[in-house]
Amino acid sequence: MNTGIVFDIREFTVHDGPGIRTTVFMKGCPLRCSWCHNPEGISPKPQIMKGLAGERLVGKEYTSDELAGLLNRQAEILRANEGGVTFSGGEPLLQAEFVAEVIDQLDDIHVLLDTSGFSSKENFRLLAGRCNLVFFDIKLIDREAHRHYTGQYNDPILRNLRVLSEMGTPFVVRVPLVPGVTDTKQNLEDIAKTVHGLPGLIRVDLLPYNKAAGGKYSACGMEFEPNYIENSELNADPEPFKIQGIEVKVV
Amino acid sequence: MNERLEEMRRRVRDREHKRFRQAAPPDISEECAAEGLSWMQRIARLACRMCEAEIPVIEPDERIVFTRTLPKLSAVFTPDEWEEIKSGRTVHAWDMINNICADWGMVLSQGLLGRKQAAIEAKERFKDDPESVEFLDCAIETIDAVLDLAKRYAAKALEVGREDLADILEHVPANPPRTFHEALQSLRFCHAALWLSSHYHVGLGRLDQYLLPYLQADIESGRLDEQSAEELLAEFFISLNKDADIYPGALQGDNGQTIVLGGVKRDGTDAVNELTWMALRAARDISMIDPKINLRISSKTDLDLLCLATELTRKGLGFPQYANDDVVIPALVAHGYELEDARDYSVAACWEFVIPGKGMEIVNIAVCSFPHAADAAIREGLAAGDDFNGIMKRTAEHINQQIENNLRPSYALKLPPGPFYSVLMDGCIENGRDLSKGLKYNNFGVHGACSASAADALAAVKKFVFEEKTIEPAELLKALEANYEGYEELRKKLAEEAPKVGNNDDAADEILVKLFDYFADACEAFGENGRGGIVRPGSGSAMFYVTLASRIGATAEGRKSGEYFSANLAPAPGTRIRGPISVFQSYSKIDYQRICNGGPITMELSDTVFRDEESIQKVAMLVRTFAQLGCQQLQLNSLNAQTLLDAKANPEKYKNLIVRVWGWSGYFCELDPPYQDHVIQRHLYATSN
Repeated sequence: MNTGIVFDIREFTVHDGPGIRTTVFMKGCPLRCSWCHNPEGISPKPQIMKGLAGERLVGKEYTSDELAGLLNRQAEILRANEGGVTFSGGEPLLQAEFVAEVIDQLDDIHVLLDTSGFSSKENFRLLAGRCNLVFFDIKLIDREAHRHYTGQYNDPILRNLRVLSEMGTPFVVRVPLVPGVTDTKQNLEDIAKTVHGLPGLIRVDLLPYNKAAGGKYSACGMEFEPNYIENSELNADPEPFKIQGIEVKVV
Repeated sequence: MNERLEEMRRRVRDREHKRFRQAAPPDISEECAAEGLSWMQRIARLACRMCEAEIPVIEPDERIVFTRTLPKLSAVFTPDEWEEIKSGRTVHAWDMINNICADWGMVLSQGLLGRKQAAIEAKERFKDDPESVEFLDCAIETIDAVLDLAKRYAAKALEVGREDLADILEHVPANPPRTFHEALQSLRFCHAALWLSSHYHVGLGRLDQYLLPYLQADIESGRLDEQSAEELLAEFFISLNKDADIYPGALQGDNGQTIVLGGVKRDGTDAVNELTWMALRAARDISMIDPKINLRISSKTDLDLLCLATELTRKGLGFPQYANDDVVIPALVAHGYELEDARDYSVAACWEFVIPGKGMEIVNIAVCSFPHAADAAIREGLAAGDDFNGIMKRTAEHINQQIENNLRPSYALKLPPGPFYSVLMDGCIENGRDLSKGLKYNNFGVHGACSASAADALAAVKKFVFEEKTIEPAELLKALEANYEGYEELRKKLAEEAPKVGNNDDAADEILVKLFDYFADACEAFGENGRGGIVRPGSGSAMFYVTLASRIGATAEGRKSGEYFSANLAPAPGTRIRGPISVFQSYSKIDYQRICNGGPITMELSDTVFRDEESIQKVAMLVRTFAQLGCQQLQLNSLNAQTLLDAKANPEKYKNLIVRVWGWSGYFCELDPPYQDHVIQRHLYATSN
């Protein structure tokens, strides 16, 4: 049986998919986005967070049946309220086998994967094939810019996007709008072109940048060092998507 | 809300009506003493003199009038007399009838003249019973005083050229209202007259039921459209805020001006009607602290109604408070209430279920401190070498002892008379008996406070001392004595690694359930209350989660002396919980058929949850889930800037406070100060809309 490291389980996450949902935040992420707002999700290991209310250990190991058992206790409620379970992170694909094992033990619960899309094709298939809905992040289309701001090239992400649309699992593309980085007209047009016509695409969500992104860094003993100007005006113009006839929402 | 109401609300918020306030009420205690009046006569005299002393106020844009001008009320006993009365007798609260609910529907439909006629007829029947005659004379005297005040308001209306108002004030509250407008005006007068008779926590009951006939008649005849009706109702609501600052209560705003909406009718059919919706909309639109709204729901309540109620919650006022009919009605029946009456329940100032017109209950007469019981049991049990069952047995004994000690002095409690309140209750006039002598229901209510903290303490002891045996009894006792000074590791283990109520963890929840069972057993064992009633156990905490904190030393759940306990039904402060579903699941395990005095699950949601229609619907689903799981009562708050500011200053109280930022959740206390400020600003912005 696999075990996994979870950094939080939160109920009633109203912005993490349809209906009443419980979100499992998986610890560990292969990307290093400079705007990351969940720094405690980056390292795959448990760590101490020091807040104003004292210290606590973040990151708890679960066996797959422990976690599935915990979620199954709410199955009836989640089903009755058009919701389910969302796996987010960090990056759930980094613990794909564990998450897949959890999903296999869930008691008829709608499952949403909230992912950066960065993983091997196999791991991606392993999880996406078990989910009812995928929230797929696309940050930057420009390959070098992607590496500059996230520490990784976007090749696996764009490949997995195609894999996803071939699998037929419905998905929403989510674009975090970071001022001067991802919110440029060029990038949004590139994203629109990339996702245009993909089977399974439900809509595109634009997520406006929030200045509290760096809020948890010092609690994690880390420095928040954005390599962009946080205060510059944000472009949240959905036009590039509308022109392509893609449903788009600023959330 | 139109401009007229906006302006009216602005004036009330700015307290402009305070300029009408008189310096002081006339003191009547000396005249009462000189005339040798009985207590009954003095209360009637008070109502008369206070009504006389009121100066009519009619503002040009008002359509529903009454502005209280007396800043407080006279005493009815001289200080010497009062000392004598108090000696050797238990005095409840401020010793005035309070926290019950009148039969407003009956009063409106008969008019005060109708009630007076009933009193005159009763006087004839009881002419040989001097006690009844005195009571009925006093009742008639107070009715006349209120009618006289209304007459002076009518004269004032004519004087300022308001024939429209004069016409209404000449008709009500003397007669049954001819219109919805008159019904609201009559209610305003009778309600204010109760305050003037020194009653407090004066609830308004099931307003959407007893006002409905007047609204329907107006709409059917075409006299009034829905919009104008809603405007009148909103004005009535605003008017309730005018005097709120002078009403006595534990804290400002604790004035018990509650209304109850929805639920079922006496025959069990759905009671939700157009007035239910209208009242929720009006309360949402005026966004003021009064009246405090309770909404009766069930597992089958229409989701759209819950969405509208959620829009009210979004305003951050802390209401509506929900009560679950599926649970409350059978629990009342199990405690001796007739089914039809149980279906007609209203809610007292805070949480307790009372029957309008039929209940002379004292719903919050004492408290049972669960932390005291658990803490004493743990300390004694560990010292005596008990096993865990022994500690639980001691806990039950301490609970029993508290009920006996705290309630026995109130056995057969004598209540002060309330002749005008009696006019508004069922059968007092007809039977020639003041309500203080008892009505159909005469129960006491007692709350079991701070339950989660006590259950957590016992659960921690069970796990570490008895199951894992990783903490020695003597070590824990020393740590408690030392207030955990020098035992920080141990304290953290107790606080962070033990099972906690609120996480749907049976290890803690089973103990919670047992505490309430012991409590219910103790109330049952107390038996009859000397007033022909029983003792109803409840689950509220009032201010006790703060006041008990300084009276108990360190406790075994890892809490240091002075730190607050859990309020009502809520996880202990600082407990990490996953969210509202687990909290509901934990609390659904309590046997509410026995714990029937009310006391809500208290829960705060970030106001970002209320962002759009979709998420509002999710909150409505959450409320429905509360009902479907069989929980009893729910107080749902939208978190506002005030809470966040307090959290910033006192982070230890708010470890559990979640704020939603962008696509993620964070613990507020883990955000850097500038980010906290940012979130606070955003919340300020959101709630000011």
